[in-house]
Amino acid sequence: MSVAWQFYISTVLVYLGVDVIACWGLNLQFGVAGLINFAFIIFQAAGAYTAAVLTLGPARPATQGGFQQYVGGAHWPFPLPILAAGVVGGLLALLVGSFGIRRLRSDYEAMVMLVVSLIATSVVTNQVGLVNGPNGLALVPKPLASIVNLSPIGYQWLFVGLTAGVCVCVYWLVHIVTSSPLGRTLRAVRDNEQAAAALGKNVTGLRMVAFVLGGVIAGISGAILVEFISAWSPGSWLYPETFVYFTAVIVGGLGNDLGVMVGALLVPVAFLEATRFIPQFGPPGFIDALQWIVVGVLALVFLWFWPRGVIPERRRRFPPAAEGEGEQQLVSTEAGP
Amino acid sequence: MLSTLVPAIGFGIVTASILAVAGVGFTLQFGVTNILNLAYGDIMTAAAFVAYLVTSAGLSVWLALLAGGAFGAVFSVLLNRFVYTPFVRRGTRLFGMIIVTIAVSLIVQNALLAIFGANFFTLQMPRPTSVHIAGMVFTTVQLAIIGIAVVVMLGIHVLLRYTKLGKAMRATATDPELARNCGIATDRVIDLAWGISGALCGLAGVILVMNVGSFTDTTGAQFLIPIVAVAVLGGIGQPYGAMLAALVIGIASELAAAIFSPEYKDVVAFVILVIVLIARPQGILSEVATGKEVAA
Amino acid sequence: MSESAGALLTVTDLHRQFGGVHAVNGASFHVPPGRITGLIGPNGAGKSTALNVIAGALKPTAGKISYQGQDITGLPSYQVARRGIIRTFQISSEFARLTVLENLLVAAPGQRGEALWQAALGKRYWRPQERATVQRARHLMARFDMSAKEDEYAGNLSGGQKRLLELMRGLMAGPALLLLDEPMAGVNPSLARRIERYLLELHGEGLTMLMIEHELAVVERLCDLVIVMAQGRVISQGTMAEIRTDREVLDAYLIG
Repeated sequence: MSVAWQFYISTVLVYLGVDVIACWGLNLQFGVAGLINFAFIIFQAAGAYTAAVLTLGPARPATQGGFQQYVGGAHWPFPLPILAAGVVGGLLALLVGSFGIRRLRSDYEAMVMLVVSLIATSVVTNQVGLVNGPNGLALVPKPLASIVNLSPIGYQWLFVGLTAGVCVCVYWLVHIVTSSPLGRTLRAVRDNEQAAAALGKNVTGLRMVAFVLGGVIAGISGAILVEFISAWSPGSWLYPETFVYFTAVIVGGLGNDLGVMVGALLVPVAFLEATRFIPQFGPPGFIDALQWIVVGVLALVFLWFWPRGVIPERRRRFPPAAEGEGEQQLVSTEAGP
Repeated sequence: MLSTLVPAIGFGIVTASILAVAGVGFTLQFGVTNILNLAYGDIMTAAAFVAYLVTSAGLSVWLALLAGGAFGAVFSVLLNRFVYTPFVRRGTRLFGMIIVTIAVSLIVQNALLAIFGANFFTLQMPRPTSVHIAGMVFTTVQLAIIGIAVVVMLGIHVLLRYTKLGKAMRATATDPELARNCGIATDRVIDLAWGISGALCGLAGVILVMNVGSFTDTTGAQFLIPIVAVAVLGGIGQPYGAMLAALVIGIASELAAAIFSPEYKDVVAFVILVIVLIARPQGILSEVATGKEVAA
Repeated sequence: MSESAGALLTVTDLHRQFGGVHAVNGASFHVPPGRITGLIGPNGAGKSTALNVIAGALKPTAGKISYQGQDITGLPSYQVARRGIIRTFQISSEFARLTVLENLLVAAPGQRGEALWQAALGKRYWRPQERATVQRARHLMARFDMSAKEDEYAGNLSGGQKRLLELMRGLMAGPALLLLDEPMAGVNPSLARRIERYLLELHGEGLTMLMIEHELAVVERLCDLVIVMAQGRVISQGTMAEIRTDREVLDAYLIG
């Protein structure tokens, strides 16, 4: 396989990894806990910024040749910036969650989130000192690059491996929640929070747990992306991006970790990447506009025909008492009510 | 200081006029059918483009206004009939509908982008002259906008208070089941509600671009947040509240722009929206909107 | 009439208003332990509102609620539930996308594996307890003749089955006081009789219940004690026989 193809495929794989991780986080918030977080992209962005700044080192003033102004900075070795990104994502979720997750009607809640994301983008773009304004950050050193001596293509595959490793860790985190009584209680809160509260469940506390975990995961996904592409700008984190993730989660299968992976494969990757191969025709930007139209149509089509997604949430059965020891069987059946 | 504040109030009144027309339309849609139509801003943009086509053909700007309003009305009715209502009938609940409206918003906005390209456009209008009133400066265009807004508000007032349709709309907004049981043809009422609010949407789109001068595919969508802020601040489904809220937000944001910097104009609307949603979701005038499901 | 000193739940001068409407307007009553107490009254008397306030779903605008000697006024519903007061809902409130068995499992109090750190400890930590809970749930389903529906999505059940699920779920939570909001509303007569039988059995096992009910014949059969509300206040308390002759009660029902 030619090096060019390897580059392309390894890049797509990393993007897939990032999207899968992000979708797992969103699924935890939306599919399992029923929280509509339209500001999701902000958590990813915050994680990316944190990782970037903790790898770039403190901003050098213009007099010393620096051209980027930003807050904070350190030279932390991998994987610390990524872990820090997760922490920041979680903290931000804690902050936003404490005023956003109230007993708001669900679409009011969505509006709050949407507006929060717009405010954040506005502030970040306008305040140059914060994160270098609209230009964002660039030249983020690649993790491990100085330690390991590889050819560029070798490094690409190393990164794919790193991403896969992080995927496994995130999957573990997501799985222990969804397969445990915690996951079941979260789904109950999603289905009817009044009834859950009437059974003694601390609805707000439980939702916070899901929200913060989702924020941590989002932060981690942002960190991996920024370490890979070595740059970060506010323009890449607008609310349509959140919509892409929502579409991926809905198309793939809300509430199902595997389904969500399929959704991440279909929507952000397969679909948006496929148009790369269509020769440019029409005025510049025409193809991009068409892409978004198709994303919108896709969302409508899937929401119509498969409201539960390609791989819907699984029905959980328990083994009969007579069997004694035995794993809880998770049987795939047709979609629920 | 006063010399910058007073003109800012003048700008505020113009912005408030546009917000009032847009906000009343939005709140009517939301109030009667319980759908948060996030595609509203993009329909405004589309109407603006229709107006653009009309004026480019050399026709009068008043005709363009009419065309924009008519487009808004027709498009909104069709949108509700063929997209929103089917999803609702299928059992899509509140947050599912948000995703539907965002999908429509993306489709409309990008269709405009694909058709017209990422350029800036202006309506062909006769050159406006300036008028000085009480220390504030208005162009004739802006005065026309204010006038249009006032006429529209009066029309809505008459509609809601004195006509059968208006009463039917208010009944359907309060309790669709009950309204249906009382013999109100809720389907017709909903169609008409979308038609009227769609017309307001279209009109708002045209007067918006008349005021800002040049516009592009995202102009309407950017105006959506202040519109939602107006609807929420005024109380969902409360047109009079929306009118009041439009005044508050329109003037406040222009004052903020004059006192701080122009970038903060939108932020004011955002912040007001968030505060209201958290502190008093029912708005300044109305009673609480409980978790009503979508009326279909 | 029971002595209020031994009461499990005491409500004193409860008020709750919505805008200008005084749904509950100075209601006082007590619920004795080990009995089925009925809460009756014409429409709009404030019974449901009072129940919602006791359960913590609404905050009172004035008044006091004390349970087992402790003041629980104004506590949020999940804390009220954790003290042993479990309520059922008049409108179906099942967890639609969970199976019947899962609905019951959720209700079990004190589950291992519900906190994040516990979930992180893995199946070996919480699985044994869950198996015991599954057993308990299955016994309950057998008792209510719902075993066949164990793996059915709760949202797919018939109206009557959802009623039974509501009751079973409440019982899984191990209540000391069960608040029933019209448990037999909209249910066919044979199922209603079945539910009555279950309630009597539970009474026999010593469960305290407060039940809002409209059909007076049912109240006569089930309730030791009856509280009558009208226009937001309690106008009479006593056995059914005592209530029947109370002039105020007759007036209230006639005016309705």
